[in-house]
Amino acid sequence: MLGKLMKHEWKAVWKVPTLLLGVLIIIAAVAGLTFALPIWDSDWIGLPMSGIMLFMLFYVAMIGVSIGIVIYLAVRYYKNMFTDEGYLTHTLPVTSRQLLISKVITVSVWELLASIGILFSLMVFGGVAVLSLASKEGDFALLLVEAMKELGNLWDMPFFKGFQVFGVSTVFMELVSCFSGAMTIIASITMGQMIRKHRILGSVGAYFAISAVVQGIFMVIMFPLMLKMVMDNEFLYRFEESPFSFYTIMFTIMSVVYLAVGVGLYFLSEYLIHRRLELE
Amino acid sequence: MSGLVTINNLTKVYEKKKVALEHLNLEIPRGRIIGLLGPNGSGKTTLIKLMNGLLVPTEGEIRINGCLPGVETKSIVSYLPERTYFQNSMQVKELIDYFVDFYADFRPERARQMLANLGISENAYLRTLSKGTKEKVQLIMVMSRDAQLYILDEPIAGVDPAARDYILRTIITNYNENATVIISTHLISDIEKVLDEVIFIRDGRLILHETVEDIRQVKGKSVDSYFREVFAC
Repeated sequence: MLGKLMKHEWKAVWKVPTLLLGVLIIIAAVAGLTFALPIWDSDWIGLPMSGIMLFMLFYVAMIGVSIGIVIYLAVRYYKNMFTDEGYLTHTLPVTSRQLLISKVITVSVWELLASIGILFSLMVFGGVAVLSLASKEGDFALLLVEAMKELGNLWDMPFFKGFQVFGVSTVFMELVSCFSGAMTIIASITMGQMIRKHRILGSVGAYFAISAVVQGIFMVIMFPLMLKMVMDNEFLYRFEESPFSFYTIMFTIMSVVYLAVGVGLYFLSEYLIHRRLELE
Repeated sequence: MSGLVTINNLTKVYEKKKVALEHLNLEIPRGRIIGLLGPNGSGKTTLIKLMNGLLVPTEGEIRINGCLPGVETKSIVSYLPERTYFQNSMQVKELIDYFVDFYADFRPERARQMLANLGISENAYLRTLSKGTKEKVQLIMVMSRDAQLYILDEPIAGVDPAARDYILRTIITNYNENATVIISTHLISDIEKVLDEVIFIRDGRLILHETVEDIRQVKGKSVDSYFREVFAC
């Protein structure tokens, strides 16, 4: 049944986030293409300003798409679980665990896809900008080739010591934070339903409360690490020589916290749906 | 034959101490069409939601086919709520696929036949259908299951008299004869002719559970007149 729930959840959800990401990538490409236009040397300020406006639009679109997808998934979860649609959702012959897992996986995967899509839009912007500049100025293309060659030598520098492990910890943290982010949304909305008369307000309040608790946990855990950095000269020297080991430790701690919070919120949500469900 | 639904000492208290059901005891047999009747706020919808696992009882329990509301009961109960529960972005044919995937007892050919009878296209998007047509589609989906228990909450409340006849015909001709149908409604005169038994509830308490035949023969009244007498303001 979980597979069937996933299939229908995916079918119901995929269109809007895909459209938003598609629009973002188009804006990225258009913004990058402005480098090919002869607007930057224009005497009239309006032309370069319009180019800058396009960059700003791309920047705002990145934030808008990121938030828009989260809001869309949150509204979808709320509607499908706790409004009229919930009358069908909760009378399907499936367990509340299967129901919740299908939602968690879908929201987590879309959070990850949104991150990848935004990263991809940046690459599209950069790639199109580079190609545009290369087509305009021959020297730029040569410079770029040289820069790419030099980039290969960077990895041998002491500064980049431990970069590979850092990369792995970053990817792991991204995956865990997608799950934790999904659980924060799902748990907030589920907890909000316990305040029967003000369900939406309750959900928003729960979201801020969970976020504040997570920030508090980070502060408590990170404080000794930061103190050590300030007090311990050897530690500081190692950080200045190559910061990646430090960030690897930090990201690993953050991942563990995110994972613990996500798992905790999952079991809380499951309990509330299974034991305390009260559809209006 | 043992009862299909057993309700023991069922109590539901909402927030602010509002008592919706109070120590309700009830045995619902198999193979009957039962009217669940009572004035507004008597606890009919609360009882139905509890039977479908959409609310948690404060006290007592409901057993359907021997099981508490859960996966087992949901696979044998076909529920028509008083509101439309569709995702508007779906097409009618997608809704059929949805029911086929989740309900082993769903009969898609029966649903298609009924949709065709009403001239509802399977390609239609649910958001384009009128409220009345959506209600008919919902009823078709619910009655296209070979369920053991059909629970219909106000199935004829929002439709015109002609559609009411169609809906009642649909219920009578499509339900499995070993199954029980519970119909909650205010429109007693419209459904009286199809009922085998009636349950009257008021203020969350059971007032009466009798066969329609007994009401007619012993009390010498129609269910509608008797209801008006019992619940006279």
